[in-house]
Amino acid sequence: MRAPTSSMLALLAFWAVGPLYLMLKVSVSPPGEVMTARPTLLPHGLTLEHWRRLLEAGQVLPPLGKSLLTAGLVAAAALLLAAPAAYNLARLPSRWRYGILLGLFLVRMLPEVSIALPVAVVFLRWGLMDSVTGLVLAHLTLVLPVVAWVLTTTFLAIPREVEEAAALDGCSAWQTLWRVTLRLAVPGLAVAGLLAWLFSWEEFLLATYLTLGAKTMPLQVYYYLYQGNWFLTAAAATLMTAPVLLLTGLLQRHLRATSLAGAVR
Amino acid sequence: MRVEWGSLVWLLVGLLMAPGAPAAAGSQTLTLTMRLAEGEWRVIRQEVLPPFEQACGCRVRAIDVPPEALAQRLKAMRAAGRAEVDLFAQDNMRLQELVEAGLVQPLDEVEVRMDPAVLPTLAAAGVMGGRRYFLPFRPNVQIVYYNAKKFDAHGLAPPRTWEELLRVAKVFKDTEGVGRVLFQAVGGAPTTTQLYEWIVSAGGDPFDFAHPGTVATFRFLQKLAPYLSPDSRRAKWDTTNDALAQESAYLAQNWPFGIPLLIRDYGKREIRTYSGWAGPVREAHVIGGDVLGIPVGAPHRDLALLLTRHLQSRGVQEILASRLGWPTIRADATAAVEPWLRPHVAAVQEAMRHGVFRANVPYWAEYERIASEAVERILWRNEAADAVLPPLAERLAALRRDRR
Repeated sequence: MRAPTSSMLALLAFWAVGPLYLMLKVSVSPPGEVMTARPTLLPHGLTLEHWRRLLEAGQVLPPLGKSLLTAGLVAAAALLLAAPAAYNLARLPSRWRYGILLGLFLVRMLPEVSIALPVAVVFLRWGLMDSVTGLVLAHLTLVLPVVAWVLTTTFLAIPREVEEAAALDGCSAWQTLWRVTLRLAVPGLAVAGLLAWLFSWEEFLLATYLTLGAKTMPLQVYYYLYQGNWFLTAAAATLMTAPVLLLTGLLQRHLRATSLAGAVR
Repeated sequence: MRVEWGSLVWLLVGLLMAPGAPAAAGSQTLTLTMRLAEGEWRVIRQEVLPPFEQACGCRVRAIDVPPEALAQRLKAMRAAGRAEVDLFAQDNMRLQELVEAGLVQPLDEVEVRMDPAVLPTLAAAGVMGGRRYFLPFRPNVQIVYYNAKKFDAHGLAPPRTWEELLRVAKVFKDTEGVGRVLFQAVGGAPTTTQLYEWIVSAGGDPFDFAHPGTVATFRFLQKLAPYLSPDSRRAKWDTTNDALAQESAYLAQNWPFGIPLLIRDYGKREIRTYSGWAGPVREAHVIGGDVLGIPVGAPHRDLALLLTRHLQSRGVQEILASRLGWPTIRADATAAVEPWLRPHVAAVQEAMRHGVFRANVPYWAEYERIASEAVERILWRNEAADAVLPPLAERLAALRRDRR
């Protein structure tokens, strides 16, 4: 690799990892090391006191659990609902396909803040305030168009010849879908699922309107930020970042663009 | 391992439908909202509410709602016809929107049986348009924080007048090459609150930018501006703590919530506090804090009123004062404050003696924009106060006329 490219990549890596490092560092640093005129970049002391305070107060684990459950359900429901729709859209003539997709995106063209209050009012009437169901439904309204778009392009990229070959080999329609099409679509499904999960995981505005007592993780991190304590904020933010890194790592092997290479000759 | 799918489905359904905190079976559940720090919540939940729950045979669901979100949530509940909040404690600088939107109930009947030990000036602040809507709960006031080590190193004493403040600011700037006195000039509520008490200190009318006292305040601020900390331009209530902690500023006004944060949590023992400085006419500090209110349609109004009496009681006010260092609303409440907190509580009490209530005007949001514009142009762009203020005074006068 040429030197300028390596330097560029190193710079990009630092830009991406730097804030994460600082967040983690502040969360385990003694106050005297950070709250000074010249804070150090490298760690000198190490303390778990901020983490102990954060966890002992008992206010961070329930939001973490609620956010994990909500984001998991949003990702699963989005894939379940959008995949069949996207598969059929991919098989439609293009002008119909893009017309319908653009229609789906109309919801996303409205600013979230303009739909948050009406959504909150309806969900309050249905008794869905503070419930995971309410949040999942609200997040799905915004996530589904994006997931449908990603999956439509995924299914479009799978050549029809592959399905025809499977049929010639004796697969039924369901077997073709399950054993061939969906397996080839795994990278797209992983990307779409990750997008849906991430959107729900970090969503703030709808959660604000649909939450009274049972906070989600972004609301809890905002609470610490609002209180102005750097160390608790850093520890809570680190805790919120960990599942994102874990999930991205787990899905890494599926996030490839070359899975269809050689599918047809 | 055999998976019990049926049990899993029921568990999932339970989780999906579960609200934040289930109500205790067979008893009434009262919902109370406040915005508190974690340590404050601990005292409220463990020491303040249990005696009330025991006495009334009910449960209090105490939840954290930020002041800026309360109005929108009450609006959503009203539109849905499902009021879920019985009682709230709200920042006394955000009351007008609740009254204007008809979100809060009048509590006129409480007027006649207001506890006589509640300080009359605090009790009066809950009356708007001749009707009582709010009850005092927690008064608050801005104090001055300073870095004693830095002051000692420069042989300076904390300023008690505007002239002394200017001198201190000049000494820091001249010796360190950068301003170390912080003015919360980010705009919006922090700037306007600070400006309000400075104008009153100069004998001015904060809503009249043509008043000689108001003009004198802006002229003084313009003189002070070159010696202010550069962090002033982004300083608000939370970043002021950061500037003090990281020693980019040595002197700043802020609310007392910074005391436990800076001194206990960050270990900055060199930070000291006092009530502040006097202007040309007097010392004045805006009284903030939280008041209690009952939303329109609250499901348990009578119980909520009982809870307000409990929260205002001598016993509770003494707990809040001794455990958290909060100023009290009662004349008869005494508190044994922890030793490290004592000088800071004394500073807050002294500042309270010079307390002024900010008028709850219906055009406060516009007022904040105009005041912020004046600060931006006069302090930072160094435009002449005499040129900037008259048109702004006109705009304020028009607002007063329109909203009367």
